[in-house]
Amino acid sequence: MSQSSDAPVSSSRRKGGGIHAGERRFAFALTMPGLLVLFLTTTFPLLYLIWSSFQTINLAMPFLDGFAGVDNYVQMWGDARFWHAIRLTGIYTTTSVVLQVVIGLGLALLVMQIPAGQWVFRIVAILPIVLAPVVVGLFWRTVMLSPNFGLVDYLIQALGFEQVNWLGAPTPALISVIIIHTWQWTPFAFLVLLASLASLPVDVYEAARIDRANAFQRFWHITLPLLRPAIVIVVIIRSMIALSAFAAIFAATGGGPGTASEILNLYAFKTSFIELNFGYGSALAVSLLVITMVVSGVLFYLRTARHPGTKT
Amino acid sequence: MKKDKHNNQRPGTGTVRRRTILKAPLAAAAAFAVPGLLIGKAQAAGKYMNLDSFRAANIDWRMAKGAKITVGVIPAGYFQNLEAVMSDFEALTGVQARLEMTPPGQIRQKAVLDLSSKTGTWASHAADPMYYMLYVANGWIDPLDNYLGDAKLTDDRWFQFEDIQPGHRGATSVDRRPYAVPFDGEATIQIYRKDVYDAKGVGPADTLDEYAANAKTVHDPANRLWGCALRGFRGAGQNMYIYPSLFRAYGGEWFDGKRVVVDSPEALAALEYYVSLLNSYAPSGVENWNWPDIADAFGQGTLGSYIDAHGSAAVVANPEKSKVVGKIGFARWPKGPSGKRVTSIWNWSFPINGALSKKDKHATWLFAQWAGSREVQIATSYDFPGAYKRTGANRGSLWKDPKFLDLMGKFGHNYVKAATESFAKDTDPDWRPRLPQWPAVGDTMATAIQSALVGQAKPKEALKEAQKKIDQILKV
Repeated sequence: MSQSSDAPVSSSRRKGGGIHAGERRFAFALTMPGLLVLFLTTTFPLLYLIWSSFQTINLAMPFLDGFAGVDNYVQMWGDARFWHAIRLTGIYTTTSVVLQVVIGLGLALLVMQIPAGQWVFRIVAILPIVLAPVVVGLFWRTVMLSPNFGLVDYLIQALGFEQVNWLGAPTPALISVIIIHTWQWTPFAFLVLLASLASLPVDVYEAARIDRANAFQRFWHITLPLLRPAIVIVVIIRSMIALSAFAAIFAATGGGPGTASEILNLYAFKTSFIELNFGYGSALAVSLLVITMVVSGVLFYLRTARHPGTKT
Repeated sequence: MKKDKHNNQRPGTGTVRRRTILKAPLAAAAAFAVPGLLIGKAQAAGKYMNLDSFRAANIDWRMAKGAKITVGVIPAGYFQNLEAVMSDFEALTGVQARLEMTPPGQIRQKAVLDLSSKTGTWASHAADPMYYMLYVANGWIDPLDNYLGDAKLTDDRWFQFEDIQPGHRGATSVDRRPYAVPFDGEATIQIYRKDVYDAKGVGPADTLDEYAANAKTVHDPANRLWGCALRGFRGAGQNMYIYPSLFRAYGGEWFDGKRVVVDSPEALAALEYYVSLLNSYAPSGVENWNWPDIADAFGQGTLGSYIDAHGSAAVVANPEKSKVVGKIGFARWPKGPSGKRVTSIWNWSFPINGALSKKDKHATWLFAQWAGSREVQIATSYDFPGAYKRTGANRGSLWKDPKFLDLMGKFGHNYVKAATESFAKDTDPDWRPRLPQWPAVGDTMATAIQSALVGQAKPKEALKEAQKKIDQILKV
């Protein structure tokens, strides 16, 4: 657009500027209380967290407290438990998100085939989502996975397999917390994808049928590309949540046994609230924040980069 | 519910209202349901205790009248009994004190957050003795010598602070200054199935090797009887409650000068014993078991033996919950290679939050004194009208009181002797490393022990890793 064609618009804006400015001020005044609350409850704690991560704040050794510079971050670099936690966070997030999308999509495709009564599945699917994660963790820990008495162990032994100590052995414990997270959140992927599937245009499929595309080809070349925006959104939202997962793992394994399911969030929590080393704990939390922002940033970038058309 | 039909009065006290005696649990329930209903202004008789015996103390119990305090405790039987008799405290002092039940997993964090932010939400709380060094290093709680030595606040001829178990007073003191009034304490003892041991011709273990041998003898998982169990759950108060006793019994020393040493040969031998014992003879899942899980399993008849707090006998000898009543035997901790038997010196105690106003501090001191007094100890133990009676009495004189010993004797064979001898001979002030960094050190050790137990790391590597982390924590 040229400058000249822009001029009248801006001049008319200027004319009404007085009223607009007044309205704007009024609108601003109206939003102030909300903004203030937001600042106090979200921005301020975040800034405080970042500030603390550059301090030594250790309740067990108050005499050492003071400005630490980047000491906490240097310590993190050489901390094997931190790298272990990062690795577990990666495994936990990737596996659980992939499982959620794959299973959720499979279920959605299946349910789409059912001509009537889909609402029943939608309602059932909501149930795990509305449960508090702590409840989910405790439920799995006691009812499902406890050795000798749990349902899963009972089934496995009834089928003639050897007993698995789900929450007591390192690898099964990690698998268990991934299963728990997947169980709780697959319905989210399912519901979003089901809604998207229902809104796909019918004529494209008719055209494909006329061209004799088989079921797989229809899925691969039509359904999947059309669903891609929905899938990407599900992946982004679920990754952000999985990276900061806490309550269900805390309730089911407490990060254990040993450190076998101690993802970064749990390590940060323990450092701050059990070891009472708030400086280092804050630095760990900041690192998790950075990772989450980078991961979601990359995913958002991929989404828009691949689909310039969706911008318009 | 006939909640008003109960009577908790002790014989010989003046009558407030006449009521018929009902079953004990109902009485306890009613005490929760109608607090304050029976409380007049100052009266000679409380609901549970004769207030005159408190007034014999030469202090002004009404000095903090009108104050309101909240005390954090855990939802365990011993504090529930205390809560049931709290109305007597208000009747005596005019102070409104409320107990806030907080699960053991959270009480430490909540207390630390409250103390460090100086909000004074909890005037006092049931404190973990291992936290006193931390509290004192930060100046969060008041030393009690000022209170004990002030004739206006304490009449020691009546209170007799020295009568409280020396081990418990030691565990709540820092540099010989007392910081809390111990309320309930315990010794760790060996608890075994006497019927099973008798049938196999073995007795309670005298040494740790014998303990493992006994476990092997009775171990029969095909018939749902496992040899033994010890706390396996990770936590400074869980597996790091049992391991320190083994560590010391193997001759381990926590300190080398100022450095905390956890990877010594003795430490390794103790950990190897623990790991091999539990992996060989404990039910699978033991790595996630804390004492209630162990006591439940023992009560269901699936364990040959366990070592834990003497108070857990109340669970395994409770006919409503346990199938092994009358088949239980008790003994002291087995001896380790160093010849030592080492019990825990665990206790719950009440400190005074330093962030309070003077009046609230006085109210809190009255509460701590009241709860630790002989009268309240008795009222919540053998004189308690409910089914559960406290066994962790804090006073030496009570452990000689025939009525108390009579109550304790009902739990099973050799119970009183095992517990009293443990208190007298097996307490060890160096049971765990006492230092302000305990929460971090304890958790690091707890993680290492559990890692070794589940095979995530070999015992030697686990301890080496823990040593590295502890050096980092202590900045040595």
